[in-house]
Amino acid sequence: MEASTERVLRYLAEVEEAAEDVLADKQQIVDLDVRRNRNREALNALRRDAEMSDEDKIKVCFGSMFIKLPKKTTRQMIHKDQEQLDKEICDIRKRLKVKVNRLNELQGKPELKGFNLSPLSRDEMKAINQVLKR
Amino acid sequence: MTIKKKLFEIICLLLFLHVKMTATKVPEVRDITRIERIGAHSHIRGLGLDDALEPRQVCQGMVGQLAARRAAGIILEMIKDGHIAGRAVLIAGQPGTGKTAIAMGIAQSLGQDTPFTAIAGSEIFSLEMSKTEALSQAFRKAIGVRIKEETEIIEGEVVEIQIDRPATGTGTKVGKLTLKTTEMETIYDLGSKMIESLSKERVQAGDVITIDKATGKINKLGRSFTRARDYDAMGAQTQFVQCPEGELQKRKEVVHTVSLHEIDVINSRTQGFLALFSGDTGEIKSEVREQINAKVSEWREEGKAEIIPGVLFIDEVHMLDMECFSFLNRALESDLSPVLIMATNRGITRIRGTNYQSPHGIPIDLLDRLIIIATSPYSEKETRQILKIRYEEEDVELSEEALTVLTRIGLETSLRYAIQLISTAGVVCRKRGGTEVQVEDIKRVYSLFLDESRSSQYMKEYQDSFLFNETQAAQMDTS
Repeated sequence: MEASTERVLRYLAEVEEAAEDVLADKQQIVDLDVRRNRNREALNALRRDAEMSDEDKIKVCFGSMFIKLPKKTTRQMIHKDQEQLDKEICDIRKRLKVKVNRLNELQGKPELKGFNLSPLSRDEMKAINQVLKR
Repeated sequence: MTIKKKLFEIICLLLFLHVKMTATKVPEVRDITRIERIGAHSHIRGLGLDDALEPRQVCQGMVGQLAARRAAGIILEMIKDGHIAGRAVLIAGQPGTGKTAIAMGIAQSLGQDTPFTAIAGSEIFSLEMSKTEALSQAFRKAIGVRIKEETEIIEGEVVEIQIDRPATGTGTKVGKLTLKTTEMETIYDLGSKMIESLSKERVQAGDVITIDKATGKINKLGRSFTRARDYDAMGAQTQFVQCPEGELQKRKEVVHTVSLHEIDVINSRTQGFLALFSGDTGEIKSEVREQINAKVSEWREEGKAEIIPGVLFIDEVHMLDMECFSFLNRALESDLSPVLIMATNRGITRIRGTNYQSPHGIPIDLLDRLIIIATSPYSEKETRQILKIRYEEEDVELSEEALTVLTRIGLETSLRYAIQLISTAGVVCRKRGGTEVQVEDIKRVYSLFLDESRSSQYMKEYQDSFLFNETQAAQMDTS
């Protein structure tokens, strides 16, 4: 009796841990996407006032401080950040798949069908869509 | 302990729900609705086996036939694993011993994901299509290809759309679109093309939309619940959805299952995709098939596709002729071959199209490749149980005595005849205003409708008064 309770608890903890892991990754994607969208808005704002030349300085907010930076540098900076974010989100998504699979396994659920397939290209999908969208 | 176990299950369930909502979405799309009328085997939900593949006496609409069902269960497991392909099973037994029922049971327990194609042996004979073409189409319908579609989408609820029109009336429009999810909110700048498609879709604040990142296609999912009270008058087709969760820019993965035959049809150039509408696919060139096989195996090597070998069920297989059998021999050896299940009620008989006698009307060389499952006639108790399941299925109330009489009839004539009497007796009973079918109703329909043996008895007696009678009764020849 005692031993089985112990085992159930340990198992539960394990499942809970895996689930928490998945949720944390999920949240991280959301946080990164928030940043990505803010960057995108900033880039749009930079593009919008066309009368400013590349050498003009603009105010950029770093944490709790505003710093004047040339427009060109700012744009490059944001672009770099954006690329980094895209890569990170992609990585997390890849990791997430493995984690979800592990969680399913722990819970004794069947593996999701076609989970590990790589996607078809656009042209190939176009052909298949003819079958699907009757 | 039991309470703890319960609690544990509940926690697991909660956990499952929680995680399911958050996990990367891989929904399986399959929107083929089956319209089911009360057919002869509509009561069958599965093979009625427990986890150890032991058959239960009465379960999921199946009664008796324990040995056959256990055998079918083992085959079912092999099919589910997907490891075997190109095997063939023959279900042999007298008429009315549940051959089709077992095949239906296999189909039901395979679930939606495994392709199951059922044809009758006589279906392949057509003027427009050669026999082997019809067979290969059936074969390819029974093989599924699983593929994945991946799209980057922006999904959110529209908070605000702002479109600035230039004062002159012409020129480019610019605008802003504010989208939100439960976690975040952002503003997009709109170009003239985007504005056009937004106004074409009549997107307004409060709609939940998706935008395909690659094509810019806008899709309206519905209106957000929080905006449900914006207007009092709303079209009936207005659909309300929850505000999306999580990030705005999502990756959507959809897994599709298509059959090889469907891919064949769209690639068969002379037909075009119009063939899918008319259903008249005609013959498909073998070159097309080869190309598709090559493409699919290429996808498989690249990890883009999975092959799901399904099940092809050929009922009344003795109706196939010699050419078909030799084609089957050959087709079973290809690596893209489904599991073939055949059913026959013949004993030693002539193979169609030849003068050779063979067991089940199937050539010996094909028989040699088959696993044979035999079904045996039902006992009295089993007959009674089947009739019980059937009258429940057909929504007819039957009294105890009536059931006993019906069971008797079922044993002495045939099970199918007894099942026919259920619905007819139900009608008679309703006509006289009763709610439960009594022995009298059964007696009445028994006198109204002849069973096979009484009918032939009648024929023999009144042979002379019928037209075109031949005194020498020829043996029935179905081959």
